[in-house]
Amino acid sequence: MELLDRYLQAVKKHLPWQRQDDIIAELKANLESQLEDKEGELGRPLTQGEAEDWLKQLGPPIQVAARYQPQRYLIGPAIFPIYWYVLRLALTWASIIYSIVVAAQLLGGQIPSGDSLLEATLHVPVVLLTTAVWVTLVFVGLEFAVKQCPEKFKGFPLPSSEWSPASLPAVEKVASNGKKPRSYAQAVAELIFGFLFLAWLLLIPQHPYLLMGPGAAYLRVSPFQLAPVWIQVFWCCVAVNIVQLGWHVESLLRGRWQRPQPVKNIVVKAIGLIPLAVLLSARDHASVLLKNPLLDQARLGEVLRNINRAISGVAVLICAIVVIQLVWDFAQMIINANRRRAVAMQ
Amino acid sequence: MTIAENLFENLRLELRRGCLTLAVLAELRREYYGYTLRKALAQRGLEIDESTLYPLLRRLETQGLLTSEWREEEKRNKRFYRLSSDGEQIFAQLLDEWQAINASINSIL
Repeated sequence: MELLDRYLQAVKKHLPWQRQDDIIAELKANLESQLEDKEGELGRPLTQGEAEDWLKQLGPPIQVAARYQPQRYLIGPAIFPIYWYVLRLALTWASIIYSIVVAAQLLGGQIPSGDSLLEATLHVPVVLLTTAVWVTLVFVGLEFAVKQCPEKFKGFPLPSSEWSPASLPAVEKVASNGKKPRSYAQAVAELIFGFLFLAWLLLIPQHPYLLMGPGAAYLRVSPFQLAPVWIQVFWCCVAVNIVQLGWHVESLLRGRWQRPQPVKNIVVKAIGLIPLAVLLSARDHASVLLKNPLLDQARLGEVLRNINRAISGVAVLICAIVVIQLVWDFAQMIINANRRRAVAMQ
Repeated sequence: MTIAENLFENLRLELRRGCLTLAVLAELRREYYGYTLRKALAQRGLEIDESTLYPLLRRLETQGLLTSEWREEEKRNKRFYRLSSDGEQIFAQLLDEWQAINASINSIL
């Protein structure tokens, strides 16, 4: 039957060459016997349509051939948990080492410029990807070696006799608010978005439209300009973000991303007040100035005063809200600590 | 296919996988070639796709549980399989295991 020969030929193309003739000969014998039975039942040869239906039922040639292949993994289930653990560790360490190197380069050289910081931040994904590729390649090699020489790697990845329940870490504290603990993926996603946010922040001085949208064009033609205090506010924001990212990386490295960290949260909120404090420290709360005071003072002086008053008013309001939040968080922390102490004493 | 149907299908296939191996080993206490083995299993109510059974025979042979030989029958060369001596031992152990599981499940139910 020509259609069967064509089918077997297609299957053969996807089989390992050392065994393909043997497999095809066996498959042909089996399928021809089946075909004979079918034709015997019908009392006639199969029509073209019936033969097509039958072969279709057997499955696409590539799938049939795939069943004869051994199961293949780049990294198998025995090694995968270790790979995943090492990958997380390597990514965290790569982030930390890279941050330290960049910080040392910036501090050791000239004053940190927006461009060099931006460049370093945008290079982070490349560093992480390169690290991930190397770790993956090492584990693929390990998987291959274990498969090729199972005797040499007997008991790998960890002989069960070496494992001891006594080495297990202490029971982790459950979040007092009953919320689901953060997953590793969530913590990593937050870190990535943190870096992206930092990159966005660093782009703002060169591309103000990223912050103000079409309003940036108005700023160019308007008689007003931002006061120099905004430069200090901007770098304070950058520094606060870098500190937050550093803590984030440290949490990941120490495997503490699931644990509630009330003190750290309070400190993060507190340092978030620094840029606002810098803004409010501007002389006469002048956060906006006139480009040509001699020309426009009489005409726009009152408007300018109102703008500055509004900006400082909003800054004071935000400060007040953050301080109230801080007091609330601090009180909650104390209450929770007392509750835990009471429970422990019972 | 709905999610529930898909889940059922996956669990069914998982459940069947081990049973098929046991059934094939049991049936191959007699000699068969691929197609007649498939027919014999089907007659006993166990339908297996060609694309599952024939590679399974190869795999069991590679593992040393089956032996095979090419022989001419009805003017056609066919590969006949039967249980090897190692296969007989493993089959006996698997059968004990299966009967124990079966008894436990029955007592649970």
